[in-house]
Amino acid sequence: MPPQRSSDDRPRAGVRWRGWNRVLHRTLGYLCAGLTIVYAVSGLAVNHIADWNPNYIIRTDTVTLAPGSAERATSPDFAAEVLSAFDLGGPVVGMYRPEPGRLDVFLDGGAIEVDLVAGEAVYESVRDRPVLRAFNALHLNEPKGVWTLAADLFAVALLLLALTGLFMVKGRKGVGGRGGWYVAAGVVLPLVYLLLLR
Amino acid sequence: MRRAAFASLLVVATAACADADASAFAGDPYGEPLTLTEVTPISTILDAPEEFLGERVLVEGQVVAVCEERGCWVDIASDRQYEKIQIKVDDGVITFPLSMRGRQALVEGTVEKLELTHEQALAAAEERAREHGETFDPSTVTGPETIYRIRGIGALVRDAAATQ
Repeated sequence: MPPQRSSDDRPRAGVRWRGWNRVLHRTLGYLCAGLTIVYAVSGLAVNHIADWNPNYIIRTDTVTLAPGSAERATSPDFAAEVLSAFDLGGPVVGMYRPEPGRLDVFLDGGAIEVDLVAGEAVYESVRDRPVLRAFNALHLNEPKGVWTLAADLFAVALLLLALTGLFMVKGRKGVGGRGGWYVAAGVVLPLVYLLLLR
Repeated sequence: MRRAAFASLLVVATAACADADASAFAGDPYGEPLTLTEVTPISTILDAPEEFLGERVLVEGQVVAVCEERGCWVDIASDRQYEKIQIKVDDGVITFPLSMRGRQALVEGTVEKLELTHEQALAAAEERAREHGETFDPSTVTGPETIYRIRGIGALVRDAAATQ
């Protein structure tokens, strides 16, 4: 006959929910670790978009063309001449004259802007930042479709992580004690900043 | 002959496509699927932009510039020389890659007007210069500006091989 558990031996409701809270927090923490890193790294990258390009490595190189470039601009060999000035092989994706004194030559990995008057060409080479570009695409939900659902689920998981995190520790260091002051600071600081902005 | 071929390459880039049928255009899709089939030449829009305000249009042309930071706008060359129109999309809704430059695109959207004060025009020009890594010269902006552009909702962009 199995031993009967007395009412005193049963885990109290408070202990039970704390156990589930801990399990939920731990499981979501593991599940969300990868994507949290992706979002955090991308967040840092796009936060400073005014100072750098988080998706592409863009380099410019300038050469002076042989005199008379304006006259030769309509020649079929001119694009090849411009490409060879940068030791590029092409192919040329397209060309465009934004104004009489300028010719843009588009390539697969960049574009060349030719100042026909000054006889100067600026090659802007463009290379993807492979990892960051992928991180940013996920963070900014560029794929749309199914990824919208995945990102929504991730957002809900983060909410649950935050809420369950509040109750991971009991007592003086928990949300009822010192932890509560930290939580309040985390809420009040952005609010104060918003008020100062107004 | 070669000169003619070269000229045709430039013309293709700014090809006039007066009310052409766009149903045969194939390319990578961006944003919402296109609903219009009749292409309006960009020069027609720029000739009488007020008549097109708020109207949904389909335009075709070569992508000659792309927003380097967010991919939130592209410039499409007009069928008339030295002209272009900007296609602005809502940030994050469509992201155009830089690799689109030089390719042929079919874009659908609504014609809109921006009326910028002198200060706003200065700020916009400064932003453009910064994006292009150019030195900003405030003297190039002399007063308020009115800009006509297209609020894009969807596009088809030919790949490089098909564009050549």
